[in-house]
Amino acid sequence: MNSTEICYFTASQLCRLIQNKKISPIEVVEAHLTRIRSLEPVLNSFITLLDDQAMAAAKQAEKEIQEGRYRGPLHGIPLGLKDLYYTKGIRTTSGSRIFDTFIPNFDSTIVRKLKGAGGILLGKQNMHPLAYGPTGENLEYGHMHNPWNPKLIAGGSSGGSGSATASGQCTLSMGSDTGGSVRIPSAMCGLVGFKPTYGRLSRYGLTALAWSQDHPGPITRSVEDCVLIMNAIAGYDPNDPTSVEVPVPDYSKALTGEIKGLRVGVPKEYFQVPIDSQVKKQFWKAVKRLGELGAIVSEVSWPMYHHSMAIANTIMMSEATAYHSKLIRTNGSRIYPPARLRLEAGFFISAIDYIQAQRARTLFYNQSLSVLKKVDLLAGPTVPVTAFKIGTDKVKINNTWVGAIPLLTQYTRPFNLNGFPAITVPCGFSDDGLPIGLQLAGRPFEEEIVLRTAHAYEHSTDWHLRRPPV
Amino acid sequence: MAQKNLLTRQTFLEVAKASGLRTKGPHMEELYTYLKKILPGIKSLEELDLNNMEPSTPFISIKEALE
Repeated sequence: MNSTEICYFTASQLCRLIQNKKISPIEVVEAHLTRIRSLEPVLNSFITLLDDQAMAAAKQAEKEIQEGRYRGPLHGIPLGLKDLYYTKGIRTTSGSRIFDTFIPNFDSTIVRKLKGAGGILLGKQNMHPLAYGPTGENLEYGHMHNPWNPKLIAGGSSGGSGSATASGQCTLSMGSDTGGSVRIPSAMCGLVGFKPTYGRLSRYGLTALAWSQDHPGPITRSVEDCVLIMNAIAGYDPNDPTSVEVPVPDYSKALTGEIKGLRVGVPKEYFQVPIDSQVKKQFWKAVKRLGELGAIVSEVSWPMYHHSMAIANTIMMSEATAYHSKLIRTNGSRIYPPARLRLEAGFFISAIDYIQAQRARTLFYNQSLSVLKKVDLLAGPTVPVTAFKIGTDKVKINNTWVGAIPLLTQYTRPFNLNGFPAITVPCGFSDDGLPIGLQLAGRPFEEEIVLRTAHAYEHSTDWHLRRPPV
Repeated sequence: MAQKNLLTRQTFLEVAKASGLRTKGPHMEELYTYLKKILPGIKSLEELDLNNMEPSTPFISIKEALE
């Protein structure tokens, strides 16, 4: 097998080869580091590369496996972390030069679990500054580029994680998602991106954007890989006050391929907002496929969907400004200007506005649950457009110019507001060869239904097998 | 019909100053324009009937809310 083949194996494929000693973790890590060196000048997916540490970890993994101490499916698998996961002794910039030299003295809970499972950290990945934006643009560390066309955005805020995973620079990545930041780059780069239920994954040791909407989540090239990583990191963490103590299932048991009789609802409100015609076309093809697989598809109504952006925005802006208030006052001029604008705007939202938004959130939550009593899942496009040129402020849809930022998050944010699990899987390509994502969302803590459906759909298509031209 | 001005320039400057923001510099004009754009969205929540609705708090688990 050649080096590129190694870099495009999924974790599920690699782990079998590693466990059976058909390939060594050293060989795997070397192949990835070579690919990173070749692609970084084009894609700029990483802020900090950890070549030496990765090779040392690979040698250690090799030794353990040779001695019969195989830790499980992530042992020897190369992965990347969005650069807001605290890593002991390794700088964590949160995508901002202000934190260029910040070195945490502890690992975030997820990093600790990934290391414990034998995962090998290749580097800290580029991101939208302070995670405050959905495009993956960053003037401070350089923009992230889409491997399907480097002139285009990778999507954000976990843009480096998306571009690195799609281009075979790492096998898996961990991103974070406050308004779609795992699902947007995953959809735009042709990947699987999963935001589990709020409270399922620990936020301990992640730089916050908005505490009550922040969700860590994996970015992978298959649903099966998503399950592997979920099995390693899901669970209660007393260090995170919002972590929920509920049993964690073995997610691999969800991948039965069987979705016969599953009720899938498509909110009619999704088509009362701007959407590109090619995205719409591919989405309906995907829905048809779900029907062919045995799902019962129906239209549902979710009227408060139209209020969800205003509610989520009010809460996010208030919490982000509260979190960064000292930084804004003391170092405002050094913050990435678009992020600074939004952070400073948060000072003008009153406590009453914030509380009213939280009350509206309860209403939205209750209505979301009501909708999901009639169906088991909601299906929709993940992002209403394909990737566009870096530096774009407005996108033309059906002869109307629409603001790029609200557009990107219009389908993803509702699930940050209600905390429900949501996944994106590739569901096609535009005429110009850009990936399109299908979003499936379920009831709280019913990740298995979401994963089962995504897996069944994925296996009935070959979209996830396509590789970008880089 | 002209939209109600939700934030006068004077109030904007007073709140900015009270919040500890630097009120000098070209970015203030950009901030004022941005606020005028987003505040109507925030105020639109007043249209909702929130009677008997208590605020969500992430410190109550979703599981409890479901039961």
